Amino acid sequence: MTNNVKIGVYICHCGVNISQTVRVDEVANLLSGKQNVKVSKSYKFMCSDPGQQIVETDIKEHGLNRVVVAACSPLMHELTFRNACERAGLNRYLFQMANIREHCAWVHDDIDKATIKATALVNAAVKRVTHQEPLTPMKSKINPNTLIIGAGIAGIQAALEIAESGNKVYLVEKESTIGGQMAKFDKTFPTLDCSACILTPKMVSVSHRKQIELLTLSDVEDVSGYIGNFKVKVRNKARYVTDKCTSCGECTKHCPVHVPNWFDEFTQNRTAIHKAFPQAVPNTYIIDRQQRPPCIEACPIRQEAAGYVALIREKRFHEAAQLIHKRNPLAVVCGRVCYHPCESECNRGHVDKPLAIQQLKRFAIDWEMNNNGKFESPVIDKHRPEKVAVIGSGPSGLTCAHDLSLKGFKVTVYEQHSIPGGMLAIGIPEYRLPKKLLAMEINYFRGMGIQFKTNMKLGSDFTIDDLYKEGFKVVYIAIGAHDSIKLEIPNEHVIGIYSGVEFLRKVNIGILMDLGKHVAVIGGGNTAIDAARTALRLGAKKVTILYRRTKLEMPASPEEIEDAEAEGIHISYLTAPTEVISENESLRGLKCIRMTLGEPDSSGRRRPIPIPNSEHELEFDSVIVAVSQSPNLIGLNGKSKHKFTITKWNTLHVNPETLQTSEPSIFAGGDVVLGPSTIIASMGQGRRAAESIEKYLNKEPLDNFTTHMVRPEVLRGESFRPHSYAKTYKETEKTEREAVGKLNPLARKYNFEEVELGFTEEQAVKEASRCLNCGVCVECHECQRVCEPGAVNYEMEDKIKEFDVGQIIVATGYDVFDASKLIPYGYGKLKNILSSLEFERMLSSTGPTGGRVLLENGKEPRAVGIIHCVGSRDSNFNKYCSRVCCMYAMKFSHLVKDRTSAEVYQFYIDMRAYGKGYEEFYSRILAEGVNVIRGKVAEIVEQKANDGDKFLAIKCEDTLIGKFREIPVDMVILCNALQPSKTTEKVAKILSLSRSPDGFLLERHPKLDPFSTVSDGIYLAGCAQGPKDIPDTVSQASAAAARALAIISKGEVDIDPIRAEINENYCAGCRMCNNLCPYSAIEFLEDKKVSVVNDALCKGCGTCVAACPAGAITGKGFSDEQIYAELEGILEV
Amino acid sequence: METKQTLKKEINLKDGVFEPKIVGFLCNWCSYSGADLAGVSRIKSAPNVRIIRTMCSGRVDPSFIIKAFELGADGVLIAGCHFGDCHYLEGNFKTMRRIEMMKLVLKQFGIDARRLRLEWISASEAEKFSKVTFEFTEQIKTLGPLRLIKN
Repeated sequence: MTNNVKIGVYICHCGVNISQTVRVDEVANLLSGKQNVKVSKSYKFMCSDPGQQIVETDIKEHGLNRVVVAACSPLMHELTFRNACERAGLNRYLFQMANIREHCAWVHDDIDKATIKATALVNAAVKRVTHQEPLTPMKSKINPNTLIIGAGIAGIQAALEIAESGNKVYLVEKESTIGGQMAKFDKTFPTLDCSACILTPKMVSVSHRKQIELLTLSDVEDVSGYIGNFKVKVRNKARYVTDKCTSCGECTKHCPVHVPNWFDEFTQNRTAIHKAFPQAVPNTYIIDRQQRPPCIEACPIRQEAAGYVALIREKRFHEAAQLIHKRNPLAVVCGRVCYHPCESECNRGHVDKPLAIQQLKRFAIDWEMNNNGKFESPVIDKHRPEKVAVIGSGPSGLTCAHDLSLKGFKVTVYEQHSIPGGMLAIGIPEYRLPKKLLAMEINYFRGMGIQFKTNMKLGSDFTIDDLYKEGFKVVYIAIGAHDSIKLEIPNEHVIGIYSGVEFLRKVNIGILMDLGKHVAVIGGGNTAIDAARTALRLGAKKVTILYRRTKLEMPASPEEIEDAEAEGIHISYLTAPTEVISENESLRGLKCIRMTLGEPDSSGRRRPIPIPNSEHELEFDSVIVAVSQSPNLIGLNGKSKHKFTITKWNTLHVNPETLQTSEPSIFAGGDVVLGPSTIIASMGQGRRAAESIEKYLNKEPLDNFTTHMVRPEVLRGESFRPHSYAKTYKETEKTEREAVGKLNPLARKYNFEEVELGFTEEQAVKEASRCLNCGVCVECHECQRVCEPGAVNYEMEDKIKEFDVGQIIVATGYDVFDASKLIPYGYGKLKNILSSLEFERMLSSTGPTGGRVLLENGKEPRAVGIIHCVGSRDSNFNKYCSRVCCMYAMKFSHLVKDRTSAEVYQFYIDMRAYGKGYEEFYSRILAEGVNVIRGKVAEIVEQKANDGDKFLAIKCEDTLIGKFREIPVDMVILCNALQPSKTTEKVAKILSLSRSPDGFLLERHPKLDPFSTVSDGIYLAGCAQGPKDIPDTVSQASAAAARALAIISKGEVDIDPIRAEINENYCAGCRMCNNLCPYSAIEFLEDKKVSVVNDALCKGCGTCVAACPAGAITGKGFSDEQIYAELEGILEV
Repeated sequence: METKQTLKKEINLKDGVFEPKIVGFLCNWCSYSGADLAGVSRIKSAPNVRIIRTMCSGRVDPSFIIKAFELGADGVLIAGCHFGDCHYLEGNFKTMRRIEMMKLVLKQFGIDARRLRLEWISASEAEKFSKVTFEFTEQIKTLGPLRLIKN
């Protein structure tokens, strides 16, 4: 083949760019006549029209079939010469370029060395081109849709340009509104146009254009593919407000949470439900929900604790009580005796102590009952024909009955005792939960139409079969755990020994018992404490609790233990009974043994181990055993045909998600499933069961539950913050947790009066103010309540949207430099020092001062200093010039003068007023009487005047008069540098875009292609590429749009056929390449046992070519032969 | 060999000074552009480094390296994108593994592993490119010419 090769070699002088360092004629002569070189010439400008003409003519005249041009970088002019070859009838891939400008002439001084190197590079190209083969470019159809990332003025402009042509645009914006930084400005230089007046019409037309699909609150998560065929994945975050929103703003009046608004640069507050600014597009509110407050997440019924706490803080007690009662039908009970898992998870615990959430709930409920009377049962307008039986009227049964009844089902509750309420009625003593309050709660259920059948014991008074005969379709078993577990020690049967639950039941239904003088209670749970305190109230002189572990392991609530001890109950830790001492079948005392703690057991608690020879005897008149309870399941399996699975803990086995038993129409929950548990956990199961039962009766699959099962604890530490605008837990100021008032122990220990008095109003508000508003929105549902169109939807979830586009425009903008890094300027420490954007917001009529220039004390400044180049043109931070600061500093000067009578001092390094009308603007502002001082500010310090007023002294060297100066001012405005935004960094990674050393995105060519990237089909617009003002941004955005449109109207583009190709004859089927390919472009054909490359997926990186052990893979355009030849040529010289 | 001698003679190389020949395989997207930027910014680099463009540093076949030494290179430089920046997602990871392996292989050929250098140079790191060429040239000068015994 090499015999017929005729190569034309052309060395470019590039004016003098190349020829002043490389002896171009010498290179041309050296190659002339060598190998297959037919023609070898040098020319002044190869890329010029006559230059290209030389190539074309030679191809025709000399019959050249290969061309080498040695000139600039192939990234610059490869395309030019390929086209020239093609015009002369030569395949465009039979051309090779040697880079002797960027890689040689421009970077070397030694003419000899540069000439040698240039010869080597040209020689390499000559050798290589010999092995090049004609290729056909691949065609790629262009998907006419375009993705634009970032909806500031750049993104908006590009989107509108493309939409104007009728082509579709996906405009992705991470914030809740479009408009970017420009929307924050008050006026724009040099025309002093109102920024909003020129921007908002564009924003509105974005929302009206049907070609533009606007995706706010969205992040691009993944992009794959190539020009014409990109696949995009976008996460559209939940807004929690639907487009039914009319933007009336009623919700913000009711929202109890206030956090600094990002749009106002955190200079004024907004509510959790908010709109960034009045003209925001889309014109829809948004709820800022950064995480679900942990108190809500921890609650099995998902009671909105943070919500009512916030309402209490705002003194909206009625709304708080309504919110509680809406979710919690046993609100009165829970306010008094809930185990409050919410408090254990409360983030305030990382600061000092968790909030007293339970007491706050009690306060709100008590306030409501004192001021508005009892809660009225709702009237249910839905009616379902199916009847449901609930066995057991404890918290689980009641919650299930309540929820089912709200759904319209007829519910009958069966209760074995004479009063409904289960453990609430017969397990909890009066002094913790007054009976009349429980009766009121039960009446609320009756009022809803729930039937109660008391004195009906399962197994003896009725069976489950009877219920089906009576027409019930579903049964919910919530019979609790009422059997006491025995100690299993000798003589436990004797008179004078009682079980804890039995004892409490008797007392609760009014049977008075004489326990004697000295009573022992065995156990460490709440039942044990209840029994001990009840025994005390029944007249026992001395009550001792025996517990085999220590206080640390005790399962009872700490406040209960504290109260018991305050009443004089003695707790004997690390003590366990081994035998009952009896006389004539009646109790005399206990034989006990001392314990010590060993290694933790499966429950995580340390196992008690008896200490040898520590046996001792204690005398008691009565002993109450309250170690644990277990369900009584005898009635279930009695005469019923239904067979249930029982666990080894003697509880009913159910599906933990659906609570369905082995019988499809029978569900179970509460203590009968969980074993002795808490009120709130049982209520949680009742609630889940109700949802499950409804699904069952609707013949729906039992999944996709909206009710709650508590998730595992989330790890949080003191370095975290409750939400993004708050201080870390460590930095948060510590406060005291309010202590609830209680009856004096002496006054309470002999009667059953309620011990806890509840918070006073003042206490409640103070305690509620300790809440950290975790996650910003605290789910008080006030916005939902007041929203007339019903636009608030708490159930909204993030959506993943996937779509295809042909091209991408990146317009991710800038962030401003954080001036607190420049310590001598005191930003963030001293008052009245503002960043440029903070001052923009101050100037805005929707900003914190309504557009007035004011100091923090509300007075007008007497003098204002404006400091240029804060963080730019500074080798410590950014070397570059931010380009816009000089001009907006002028704008600020004008506006300060316009709105106050203050003197203005500008501190600049060089005044840069390039651009149309800018120099004129500068002159105009100077004429307005602004003082300009040339010199970089060294330091800003706070000083005190003689009259005690504080002011800021700006210290700098005036380089024009060569003197050190100190200017007193009241306010300082910093001109912060423009920096690449954080999103730019993220997007650059996703799109594999290069960035220049300053962090801005790298353009294809700084002069000739400043809005393209080296990746075909990806363009840049605005400050993502570098700092620029609005006119330049708009021009660049339009240019990017024009480029995209040009490609769209072409319909398809040529793609270099640089692809891997597998020669099936050589492929051994080792499949090594299959896993190497990052695009999964290589498939293995099972029938032929060879791998093949999918051309559409291959990108031509050549990794597989380099790895193939059989040499079966060729890189088209970069084959092994070509590179070997290139090596040979490059090293020959 | 004939061409080699004539070309050398005609250019009139100052004899006596060892000027190493170094082949630089640069990936198209990052390092080649970085070298271009060095040119545009007129940041000087060592003339000893002669550049061959590959689409990805992952394209550099171990045999290219051996071949380069065999054909008279005194050093081989391979430069690609930084981790996470690879235009082809993960080609540079493969390069890294391959080069580590190649260093072991080179020893068996009696070639000092320091004659093979791997660098990550982004499209904006013109200065780094320049620095690397000078450093590497100095390194190779210290190591002296590579004398491979051929059969």
